[in-house]
Amino acid sequence: MSPAKGPLKGRAARLGRLMPSGPSSAARTPFVLLVVVLLGGGLISLLLLNSALNQGSFKLRELKDRTTELTDEEQALQRDVDAHAAPDALERAARRLGMVPGGSPAFLGPDGKVLGVPSAAPSPEPSPTPVPAPPTEPPAAPPATSVAGTDPAPTDQLQQQSALDTSVAGTDPARTDAASEADPAAGTAADTTASGATVPPTTLPTTSGR
Amino acid sequence: MPSQEPPRRRVPGPARPARPRPASAGARSARPAPRPGTRRPAPRPPARKPRTIKLGSPRPRLRLISVGLTLVMLVFVGRLLQVQAVHADAYAAKAAAYRYQEYTLSAERGEITDRNGIALASSVDAYDITADPKLFTPEESKVPDAPEQAAALLAPLLGKEPAEIAKKLRTPKSRYTLLARKQTPQVWNQIRDLKRVYGQKAQEPGGTKVNLLGGILSEPSSKRVYPNGELAAGILGYVNAEGRGAGGVESMLDGELAGKDGKIRFTQSNGRQVPTAGSQGTPAVPGSDVELTIDRDIQWAAQRAITEQVRKSKADRGYVIVQDTRTGEVLAMANAPGFDPNDLSAANSASMGNAALQDAYEPGSTSKVMSMAAVLEEGKAAPDTHVVVPNRLHRGDRLFKDDVDHITWYLTLNGVLAKSSNIGTILATGQLGATQAESNRILDSYLRKFGIGSPTGLDYPGETSGILAKPEKWSTSQQYTIPFGQGLSVNAMQAASVYSTIANGGVRVEPSLVRGTKGPDGRFTPAPEPAKTRVVSEKTARTLAEMLESVVDDREGTGTRAAIPGYRVAGKTGTANRVDPELGRYKGYTASFAGFAPADAPRVTVYCAIQNPTKGSYFGGQICGPIYKKVMEFALKTLHVAPTGREAPRLPVTFDPTP
Repeated sequence: MSPAKGPLKGRAARLGRLMPSGPSSAARTPFVLLVVVLLGGGLISLLLLNSALNQGSFKLRELKDRTTELTDEEQALQRDVDAHAAPDALERAARRLGMVPGGSPAFLGPDGKVLGVPSAAPSPEPSPTPVPAPPTEPPAAPPATSVAGTDPAPTDQLQQQSALDTSVAGTDPARTDAASEADPAAGTAADTTASGATVPPTTLPTTSGR
Repeated sequence: MPSQEPPRRRVPGPARPARPRPASAGARSARPAPRPGTRRPAPRPPARKPRTIKLGSPRPRLRLISVGLTLVMLVFVGRLLQVQAVHADAYAAKAAAYRYQEYTLSAERGEITDRNGIALASSVDAYDITADPKLFTPEESKVPDAPEQAAALLAPLLGKEPAEIAKKLRTPKSRYTLLARKQTPQVWNQIRDLKRVYGQKAQEPGGTKVNLLGGILSEPSSKRVYPNGELAAGILGYVNAEGRGAGGVESMLDGELAGKDGKIRFTQSNGRQVPTAGSQGTPAVPGSDVELTIDRDIQWAAQRAITEQVRKSKADRGYVIVQDTRTGEVLAMANAPGFDPNDLSAANSASMGNAALQDAYEPGSTSKVMSMAAVLEEGKAAPDTHVVVPNRLHRGDRLFKDDVDHITWYLTLNGVLAKSSNIGTILATGQLGATQAESNRILDSYLRKFGIGSPTGLDYPGETSGILAKPEKWSTSQQYTIPFGQGLSVNAMQAASVYSTIANGGVRVEPSLVRGTKGPDGRFTPAPEPAKTRVVSEKTARTLAEMLESVVDDREGTGTRAAIPGYRVAGKTGTANRVDPELGRYKGYTASFAGFAPADAPRVTVYCAIQNPTKGSYFGGQICGPIYKKVMEFALKTLHVAPTGREAPRLPVTFDPTP
C-alpha cells in the first residue's frame, strides 16, 4: 500500500534497521549450501537407513521361510528314519534277510571258556510271501554261524550284532565296545534323535512366529 | 478494543454518515480499521433514513457470545479431561490395540525318550487345512460345481472321501470350515502347489479368473507323534486336541513337558510388521525332555510276547513288567491289547490306559513267596522243614484243596513252594504266631513291607494301590486264602516289585519310571533317588532265591517251561481265581509268572500276567512261563548279562516219610 512505497516510518523503520544491509549476500551462499547439504544428506541417509531396515525385514522373512522349510524337511526325514529304525521294522527287515530269533544267550570268555549253553538256531521257516530271493538267503545265514563260532545261533534278530560281539568278547572292556558298536541302527536312531532335539529350540520362535 | 472505543460507537447508525469520520480517522491513525472498504459501500437506502432504530445494547449480545463460547470451551475442556485424564488408559489401550499386534508363541512340547535317548514321543510342525466355503459358491467361483471339483483334487491328498470334503465346502453362510486336522507340512505344500497351478490356469486367457482352490487355507499347528506306534503306548499315554497331556506320562509330567508359551508384540500396519518400530515380547520356553527308564528294545520284546500270547489264549488282557533288580528302574511295562497313540480314533477306550498299573487283581500263588519270606524271616521254618500235605484241609468255614488232586504229599517247605501247594502254605503260615490273629498280623506286616496295599511310588495317573484289608478285618476265609494270594488285590507293578525285593537281597527299591528330565538349557536333572527299605534279611532273600530256583529247575516244579539253558533262573508260577469285574464273583483265571535271573546274582526281574485266558491252558507255568523265558532271554542279551556258571543248589522237594 501507500506507506510501503515511501521511506520507512515509525515501527517499520525501526524493524528495517534490524535487517542486515549492504553487500552481505556473498557470505550467505556457503551457509545456505551447508544447510541444504545437511538437510538433504540427513534425508537421504534416513531414507537409506529405512530401506536397509526394510530390506532386512524382507531378508528376515525369507530366512524364516527357509528355516520352516528346512525344519519341515528335517522332520520328514526323521519320520522316515524312525519308520526304518522302529523295532518292528527292524525285525521285518532281519527276517527278510533270513535271520531268525536266537535262543538262549551264550558267552565266550577270553580264555575260551563258554558260559551258557549254545544251541543251533532253528532254520528260518519259508515265509508265506516269497520276499527273500532264494539265492540270497543261504549266503546270509552261513557267515553268521561261522563268525559266531561257539555260538552258532544267529541270536535274536534285533540284537544279532550285539549278541555276536558279546559272545566273542565276554570281558568287561570288550563288552563296552560291543555295547557301543552294537545295534548300529538303534545307534543312528539315537544320534538323529539327539540332533533333532537340539535343533527345534533354535527354530522354534521362527516357526511359531510365522 | 472496548477501552479504545466506546462500544456504542462501534456500530454507527446509518443515519449519520458524516459525523463518525473524524473519530474513526483518529482511530485509524493509531491502528488501521480492519475492514474500511466493506463498511463503506453499504449505505442504507435513503428510504430508511427517517426511521431511527433504537439498537439494543451490544453488551448482552457480547455476553451471550462469550457465555456461549465459554460453554463450548468448557465442553471441550471437559472432553479433553475425559480423554486425557479420566479415561486415558482406556483410550491408550484402544490405540495400542489398533497399533500393535500380539501373537502367542507356542512353546514346543518336550520329547519323551527311552533310557538310551531314542524318542518315544516328539512334537512336529503340522497344519490344519481349512476352507472358506463362501469362495466355493457358484457366484464367487463362477463354476457351478466348485466344491465337487475341489474335493476331487483334495481327497487323495487328505486321505478322505471326496463327498465328505464337498459337503464341508458346501456349508451355507459360513466363512470357515475345518477340512483336516494336523496334516504334515508336505501335504500342505502339495496343496499350495496345486493352488498355484490353478491360479495360473485361471489367469490365462479364457480362464475363469477365479482360482478354484483359492478358498483353501491353512493354520499352523503342532502334532504329537509317537514314532514307534503302539510301542510303550500304555506308559506314554496321549495328548488331547489342545496338545496337553491327557493320559499316562504325558499327563503325569505335563507341567515339565509343556513348557511356557511366549508372546510377541509389534507395531503393525495393515497387518504387516513395521520394521523400524521394533517389537517386544517374551520368547517361548520349550518344555523339558523326559527320559524314561524304559529300554525300547526290551519293551518291544515284552510287548510282542504278551500281545501274541493274549491273542493265542483269547484272553482279556495281559501285562509284562521288566525291572532292574538293583536300581528298581522299570525297563519295560507292556500291556496287551495296546493302542496306537498316533490314531486315537481307532483305539478302543478300554485298552487306552496302562493296565499294568491300573488293574487290581488277585495275584494267586505268586504271592506265596511273601508268606515263605515271613516264615523264614521269623525263623519258624527252614527250606528243608517237613510239611505233610493232605489231600484236603479244613480251615474256618471252608475245605481247601490244591490245584491238582493228590494223595498225601510229603514235601519240604521248598517243595511246598516248588509244587505251589495251597495247603502247605496255609500250614506253614499258621506257624507264624501263637494264635491265628497273631499270625495274621505278622503276615500282614510283611505284605505291607513288600509294598502291597500302598501306591508303588511311581505317581502314575490312575494307578491303583490294590486292596489289602487290615488284619483285624480279615474274614474267616480270608485269613487262610491271603497266604496263597487270594482275597487281596495287587497291580502288576506291585507284584513285580516283590520279586525285585527278594532279588535285591531283601531291600525293596521303590520302582521308578522316569530317569530324569533335560531342561531347555540342555541340563539333565536326574530323578530323585528311589526310597529303599529293608524287608527281609539278606540270608532270607538268598534262601528264597534258591527255593524259587526249584520251581523252575526241579522236575516236579510248576515253572519248568521258564528254564533258560545255562542260566540259574528263579521264578514262581501263579494261577489265581479271577474276580470278574462285571459279575462280582470268581470266574475264569489269572495266569501269572514272576521271577528273576541269574538267581545267584540277580539283574532282571520279569513279571507276566494274563487275565482270563479262555483258550488252551490257563496255568501260569504253561502260558506265562514261555513269555517269561522269551522276555528274560532278550533282556539278558540286551543287558549283556552272562551266566554265573555256578551250580544250582537243588534243594530237596520231598522227603521220605518212613522214619
